[in-house]
Amino acid sequence: MGKLLVIDVGNTHTVLGVYDGPTLVQHWRIQTQEGRTEDEYGVLFRSLLSGPESAGLGGAAVACVVPGMNVTITALCRKHLGLEPLVVGPGIRTAMPILYDKPQEVGADRIVNAIAAYERTKDTTIVVDFGTPTVLDYITKRGEYAGGVIAPGLGVSSAALFARAAKLYEVELVAPKQVIGRNTVHAMQSGVVLGHVAMVDGLVERIQREQKVKARVIATGSWAAIVAAESSTIEEVDEFLTLAGLRLIYERNQE
Amino acid sequence: MSLLAIDVGNTHTVLGIYDDGRLARHWRIETDPARTEDEHAVLVRDLLRDAALTGAAMSCVVPALTPTFRALCRRYLALDLLVVAPGVRTGLAIRYETPHTLGSDRLVNAVAAWERTHAATIVVDFGTATKLEYVSADGAYLGGVICPGVRIASQALFAHAARLASIELQRPPQVVGRTTAHALQSGMLFGHVATVDGLVRRIQREQGVAARVIATGGLCGLLAPESETIETVDEFLTLDGLRIIYERNRGTH
Repeated sequence: MGKLLVIDVGNTHTVLGVYDGPTLVQHWRIQTQEGRTEDEYGVLFRSLLSGPESAGLGGAAVACVVPGMNVTITALCRKHLGLEPLVVGPGIRTAMPILYDKPQEVGADRIVNAIAAYERTKDTTIVVDFGTPTVLDYITKRGEYAGGVIAPGLGVSSAALFARAAKLYEVELVAPKQVIGRNTVHAMQSGVVLGHVAMVDGLVERIQREQKVKARVIATGSWAAIVAAESSTIEEVDEFLTLAGLRLIYERNQE
Repeated sequence: MSLLAIDVGNTHTVLGIYDDGRLARHWRIETDPARTEDEHAVLVRDLLRDAALTGAAMSCVVPALTPTFRALCRRYLALDLLVVAPGVRTGLAIRYETPHTLGSDRLVNAVAAWERTHAATIVVDFGTATKLEYVSADGAYLGGVICPGVRIASQALFAHAARLASIELQRPPQVVGRTTAHALQSGMLFGHVATVDGLVRRIQREQGVAARVIATGGLCGLLAPESETIETVDEFLTLDGLRIIYERNRGTH
């Protein structure tokens, strides 16, 4: 079996990775731009994939939350890489029961994360993915996907604060030394960064209380490291959890 | 004595009339910096009708509207508007490093809250931004926290996430959403309340004090009941702070 190309298309960024067996040998992050054509993406992909670590690709798996991008990514895989991609969606075997009222409604990235997280813990788990939204997904001890929470992400909500509040301005997204900001920059850093940490910790605690469980908590996504450093509930960060999930699903569909 | 209190926020402007220290009437209008002094005057005079005003005080976080309201009060109401700004007497010791970038609504809330408790207090204001202020037991304003408000954060999410459609902010059946709509409502409502509760607890821990917690702002009615830390809700806290500050400055401005 050749190497596997995995593609995680998010609302803001698309992450690519190459797996050689279970090992992630290379990864890249590019903008998600719906206006770009399959040929433009083809040029970009072929250039990124030109190194020796990407030689011998035998398959591709895609999770995409931007409907318009599905066609583009599929077409570029066929035309420019000669690969028939597996696109995560209804009908794809995941080996995870979906306890959602409308299973086809669940974003592909959420299922992919859930599968990767449960593969590690084999236990009750909450996955926190810090992307355009911050998404928490809850997986039962038996490995069922049971739904979750979708909140405004750290990046979009802070940009909204800077744009909408006339007297405020953009600040660097780092945790301040103390919670009470004694100047306006520190007050905003506290609200944006520590406020987001508080949101995630509070939601994790509310889920645990509601479901009467003590869940393992794994985080991924762009802001995972910043938030996890201050969080009291996140146990583990895996920047490439979604990519790992794509590899697992690909393998389950080869059997 | 009849006082007009004006709280100009980024989204809404709230007006209130105090008769002898009691809020008699109040209104909420859109904040529109492009609206002229004369347009504002038509609106404000119609709402006020025949109120016999003796004074006016304002907190304004939209700089362009400060001269508009000042001119309106002078020309149409024959009142000299007290604008809360550095130099105005508040009764609190201000321990903020950058008083010139301190939103006046934050200070006004702190004044009103401390007047009620005379103890260490955290004020939570759910507005365009959600703001927390801390006043120590000896009446010093120490600063606070500014978070994206629940509405602007949600609107930003819907604008940036292709598959997520705008949805009404209301309480979902449980925290773990089993539909995308419920998952979003959970994130908006429980997520925002968790932000506030977590920040309140962190402040209490940092200051080593079980501070009192008072909430205000347009969305406090919906959010405060879900909170584990908010003790009291007062929708008109900012207006009341303006009244208090006006009384402390009477005859001096």
